[in-house]
Amino acid sequence: MSVFRPGFLELGRLWETKPLERNYEVVIVGGGIHGLATAYYLAKEHGIRDVAVLEREYIGFGGSGRNTAIVRANQRTQENVRLYDEGLKLWPVLTDELDFNLMFYNCGNLNLAHSEAAVSSFRLAINTANFYGVRSELLDPQQCKEVVPALDISDRPKHPIQAGMYHPPGGVVRHDAVVWGLAKGASAHGVAIHQGVGVEGIDVDGGRITGVRTSEGRIGCDKLGIMAGGYGTAVCAMLDIELPVNPLTIQAMVTQPLKPFLHHVVSSGAYHVYANQTLKGEIATGAHMDPQVNYTTDVTAYYFKHQAEALTDFMPCLKDVRFLRIWAGLADMTPDMAPILDGNFAYDGLYLDVGWGYFGFKSGPITGKYMADFIAREEAPEILRPFALRRFLENRYMGETATAMKYGQWD
Amino acid sequence: MTFRLTCPVCGPRDVYEFRYGGPERGPRPDQEDLDPEAHFRWAQFRMTRPEAQEEWWYHAGGCGVWFSTVRNPATNREETS
Repeated sequence: MSVFRPGFLELGRLWETKPLERNYEVVIVGGGIHGLATAYYLAKEHGIRDVAVLEREYIGFGGSGRNTAIVRANQRTQENVRLYDEGLKLWPVLTDELDFNLMFYNCGNLNLAHSEAAVSSFRLAINTANFYGVRSELLDPQQCKEVVPALDISDRPKHPIQAGMYHPPGGVVRHDAVVWGLAKGASAHGVAIHQGVGVEGIDVDGGRITGVRTSEGRIGCDKLGIMAGGYGTAVCAMLDIELPVNPLTIQAMVTQPLKPFLHHVVSSGAYHVYANQTLKGEIATGAHMDPQVNYTTDVTAYYFKHQAEALTDFMPCLKDVRFLRIWAGLADMTPDMAPILDGNFAYDGLYLDVGWGYFGFKSGPITGKYMADFIAREEAPEILRPFALRRFLENRYMGETATAMKYGQWD
Repeated sequence: MTFRLTCPVCGPRDVYEFRYGGPERGPRPDQEDLDPEAHFRWAQFRMTRPEAQEEWWYHAGGCGVWFSTVRNPATNREETS
């Protein structure tokens, strides 16, 4: 007799493979966290089950499986803080709802400031966070050292640490688990997930979306959600839609596993580095972006050197530690570091969820929840309205960064 | 893998020597009576197709020349005609 409960070792697929139909009420381009979450909430909350998620590669191939898994809600502007705060609170709820361990570990984030200006911008972000009930506090260098003993708080590093912004509710979430969990949940509610189906064109008729042309033939739909992460600009280009978005390659890497010593996410804008220690013991760290627009996931030795120099400067104990792996993904950068969430824009039935830059992971499920609401009711939920494309044309950038951005082109 | 761009003065050099100047976007619109929308459309709106495009680069870590070249965002490589 088995010592296991019945079914314990009968591992099945988490999601169902369904035949590709010729028509769906809603087609979502992109089987990442945003697309899967939107499909999940469309089916679960709005009873719209005639939904297909089309993924050119495999689910989680893009940014959803390539980010450094960091989540937080200490953004600078009120519009963003509200959304990210709800997003942060959603992880434990989703874990329960999907009956799938997303491995949410709220270890807290410590962001370092190395200049007077950075300290001032922290004060502003902290005040905004606290106003909205999000825990965030300013630490002096000695307090930073107490939180992360590996830090060198002397004046030896190239950029000495002047303060830290400590955000206890943030942390990390296992990104693959989020993809799989959402796929499981969406499939259980009737959503069709089609992997290996690439969109090659979009059909319109009289100002309305009527369907998509794919590698597996034409598929008709009433509503189309473009939620393809960094590839969203290329999908929009199929409709000749121009966007203020630059898709850029961003690289990340892990070191060999080490004994646990880094118990929080540590990041620094001046060093262009963010790092956390995974449960396996590796230091997972992300870098800056290459400036030229491109759709490749090329990696370069340049960033190994950059990360090694940066990390060992403010955490000298990492000297002589080896990098094991490097990979890259896409970040679709907007001029104001906030996304473009819009609907019935350019064409009736077209919904856009693009321009998340490198914030697409932490915002994924909550955005899916509200985009589903947007698609179902054909009216933007109040929380998403500030993110409409129109803001740029009205000369209203969101003040997410303290200084003008220098990502993408140099001009 | 990194790649090389061809500087018209120095020849093929590592891409990290250069600064990216963005795609060719035509002449700057006349500033007389220019509204913010028209300016923004010219300055920031893009259609990044996964195909070759003409773009500007600056040899910051070299001779300092501005030049245009053709590169393909789908391959991240310069295309020489």
